[in-house]
Amino acid sequence: MSNEAVLHTPSSYAVHDDHAHDHHHHETFITKYVFSQDHKMISKQFLITGMIWALIGGLLSVLFRLQLGYPDSKFPWLQDLLGKFWVEDGRITAQAYYALVTTHGTVLIFFVLTAGLSGTFANFLIPLQIGARDMASPFMNMLSYWFFFAASCVMFSSLFVETGPFSGGWTAYPPLSALGQASPGSKTGMDLWLISMALFVVSTLLGGLNYVATVLNMRTKGMSMTRLPLTIWALFFTAILGILTFPVLFSGFILLIFDRNFGTSFYLSDLYVNGTVLPNEGGSAILYQHLFWFLAHPEVYIVMLPAMGMVSEILSINSRKPIFGYIAMVGSLFAITCLALIVWAHHMFVTGLNPFLGSIFVLFTLLIAVPSAIKVFNWLTTLWRGNIRFTPGMMFAIGFVSLFISGGLTGIWLGNSALDIHLHDTYFNIAHFHLVMGVASFFGMFAGVYHWYPKMYGRQLNNTLAYIHFWVTMIGAYLIFWPMHYEGLAGMPRRYYDYSIWESFKQFAELNRFISTVVIIVFATQFLFLFNFFYSIFKGRKVTNTNPWGANTLEWTTPINPGHGNWPGEIPEVHRWAYDYGKDDREFIPQTEPVGANESHH
Amino acid sequence: MSTPTTAAVPTKWWSGGRSPFNVEYGKLMMWYFLMSDAFTFGAFLIAYGTIRFSSTSWPNPNEVFQSYPGMSEGTSAPLVFVSIMTFILIISSVTMVLAVRAGQEMKKNKVVLNLILTIIGGLAFLSCQAWEWTHLHHEGAWWGSNPFLNEDGTQSSTNFTNFFFTITGFHGFHVFSGVIINIIMLIMTLNNVFEKRGHYLMIEKAGLYWHFVDLVWVFVFTCFYLI
Amino acid sequence: MQPTTHAEQHGNKHEIRNVTIILTVLTLLELSLGFAMMKMADGSTAKISTKIAIIILMLAKAYYIVGYFMHLKHEIRNLIMTIVVPLTLFIWFIIAFLGDGESYKNLRNTYDAHKKAVSTQKVEVKKEVKEVHVDDAKH
Repeated sequence: MSNEAVLHTPSSYAVHDDHAHDHHHHETFITKYVFSQDHKMISKQFLITGMIWALIGGLLSVLFRLQLGYPDSKFPWLQDLLGKFWVEDGRITAQAYYALVTTHGTVLIFFVLTAGLSGTFANFLIPLQIGARDMASPFMNMLSYWFFFAASCVMFSSLFVETGPFSGGWTAYPPLSALGQASPGSKTGMDLWLISMALFVVSTLLGGLNYVATVLNMRTKGMSMTRLPLTIWALFFTAILGILTFPVLFSGFILLIFDRNFGTSFYLSDLYVNGTVLPNEGGSAILYQHLFWFLAHPEVYIVMLPAMGMVSEILSINSRKPIFGYIAMVGSLFAITCLALIVWAHHMFVTGLNPFLGSIFVLFTLLIAVPSAIKVFNWLTTLWRGNIRFTPGMMFAIGFVSLFISGGLTGIWLGNSALDIHLHDTYFNIAHFHLVMGVASFFGMFAGVYHWYPKMYGRQLNNTLAYIHFWVTMIGAYLIFWPMHYEGLAGMPRRYYDYSIWESFKQFAELNRFISTVVIIVFATQFLFLFNFFYSIFKGRKVTNTNPWGANTLEWTTPINPGHGNWPGEIPEVHRWAYDYGKDDREFIPQTEPVGANESHH
Repeated sequence: MSTPTTAAVPTKWWSGGRSPFNVEYGKLMMWYFLMSDAFTFGAFLIAYGTIRFSSTSWPNPNEVFQSYPGMSEGTSAPLVFVSIMTFILIISSVTMVLAVRAGQEMKKNKVVLNLILTIIGGLAFLSCQAWEWTHLHHEGAWWGSNPFLNEDGTQSSTNFTNFFFTITGFHGFHVFSGVIINIIMLIMTLNNVFEKRGHYLMIEKAGLYWHFVDLVWVFVFTCFYLI
Repeated sequence: MQPTTHAEQHGNKHEIRNVTIILTVLTLLELSLGFAMMKMADGSTAKISTKIAIIILMLAKAYYIVGYFMHLKHEIRNLIMTIVVPLTLFIWFIIAFLGDGESYKNLRNTYDAHKKAVSTQKVEVKKEVKEVHVDDAKH
């Protein structure tokens, strides 16, 4: 079959291209806002669902920080609000504390920073920036969101189960997660957790296959791979990571489901619960950890890479300079992707992993510092002597770089198995991963939202609120996580309910209270963003210019409020890379502009 | 394209405006889906290997899988029945290839014939598996119960049967869904859907899936029955 | 005009027939090795090398199925690469997992004397063991 057919048959609107802007399909509320197949609407669905989850996840962290910061205080009003399972005698119960920690982790990593981040921006940016009318399969794209929605519903419902949501940590290590009698949270809560995660894996796969196929097959004329904006490269690699590793997690979960419900012992051996000997024999809990981290380590990069890509783009646009080392950026993204797949066991140095095998994992892990450093230096050199515009998006992008450096450096400590013996499962670790992948990815997400909001809604966000949001969040993030390094170095373990009874950790009571106070302030500040976001959808300043940031990429060649199909007429052709800023005394040259006869080469 | 391509001018696969692989998106997605599914099965088989490597001994498959329907008591015929199953699946793969080819040649009747043969092959395989599962179940094997001893005569853990039923079950589920897909393809072919569309690309994708099921069996067969 | 790559040379009849024969022969070879293996002692070099031979035959079968039945051999080189290259991840996947499984066994046999004693105890009465487990099966 011919290649023309290859490109155009899948998208039904390509057929009626010419009248696409004259008369739309009859779109009902349901097809436009609910079961939409328009990638832009799906991305907004992902974004708003992700924001709701971020709110829930953040609230959970505020609750457990209350326990950690104020272990002696009583909150009777919380008991009235949440009920006896969560708060008893004015104090958050130990069971609830573990449920809070677990759900906070699961929700933020999977639902917010995976679905909310790459779900939003892959859907939104891939077709717009590569010059496609929609995803390769809009229908699968829609399914991807609705599987995520179903996963969300199941996870949310687990919060209301009598025995509580799952409470064995977001890693769900067996035997705790496999045995209902081991903990109340391992009963119904864990069943719901597994169902939810299985649905989530399906959603990610449907999305990921679509992203990869779209980037490869649907690029417009002239958009060779080396002309792709770095956002697309990053989202492309993110999708590949997901396709290769989520199935492994899925298998691991299936074995766990069998262990829970069908009397198998894949992960179980030599167990006593409450003095009873269990019959399970011959399994290995380490096997689960291997299967889990085979996904969960790349997951960290699934969270990071989209943020990296968007930050690269935003830094370049707002420095009015080409990105420094485009090919090196792509290469380091590729290197990070490859390395991400082979370092999973560095999370398992102290679980009984073979030490020799561990040393190989140390080597691979430390290698990641090389591409990461390349990226950091390229971001910094992009900023160097740039004509910087401090837009809110730019502020968050710069904040991302700062957080990535601070959090990344401690990764080198933790990657060494010898140091990890001391630091494993301490607050040092919490500080490390929250800075480098948690807050940093959040900053990437905020940067993306602030930057592409005009394209999403045709309006601008309020800048004053945005700057307050940025500074409080930025300073707050450091105030929260920086002190945790000291706690961790002193050996303070994570996931403990109450440190005040430990002689060694009593000294941190004040510090814990300080951290908790900042958490509350930062959490409250996020409402500024939420207000700004929802208010501006309806009342924000209208965008009058199709290209408000003076950017080169294709999404800014669409109308201010693009319809389904993105471009009213022909899809534009691409003639150059995405980073011709400040070239030949011109501030920017869009990708659609043909290369002039006497234009200089770069 | 504006200019006719001649043999001398290399095709610019990657410059956009076309598929760099000269395949439509559906086939590409099917390939990448199969790749990810390979990791699902890979993870299962590697988990099985890991547990086997961490066990001191393991049951000998030749002592476990040694029956076929209608076999007289007291005799043993290791590998015979499973070889039949393997051949059934290989042959059904061949008929699927023929169906795909007939589709490319737009020969509807041949497509129908070969799809029917493939479906029969798939059902035959599933029946064999059902018989084998029933037989093993009667011997006392199930999830969480393993009547077989290790090769060295020591007590075996239940993971031998746990993995066997989980992985062959997961594979069987794939065969089952493959049969369903093929039945849908058959109905669509009979309704002239592909004739009207002008191409049988859907059959190619269904074929990829079916061959993948065969491919997985090659690995399952080797890992469980042979070594 | 678009250059077509697969319409014309889509697996001619001979190719399908040949691959079918090759797959059959490979399976028969595997089976004969399997039968030969039954008489070898557990853990002997002969048995391990037979197993390796069987794995190589398995990979050869996989190659023929993917290459010819799934038609990958006739696709554009880049498509082949995008599918084959990620699969190389399996190499480290297998080495690390199996290596750690082996290590787990050795660690337990070294440091858990009870475990070792139990795992080397031979079961005497075969029939009885069977009955007990059938009862356990119902949960």
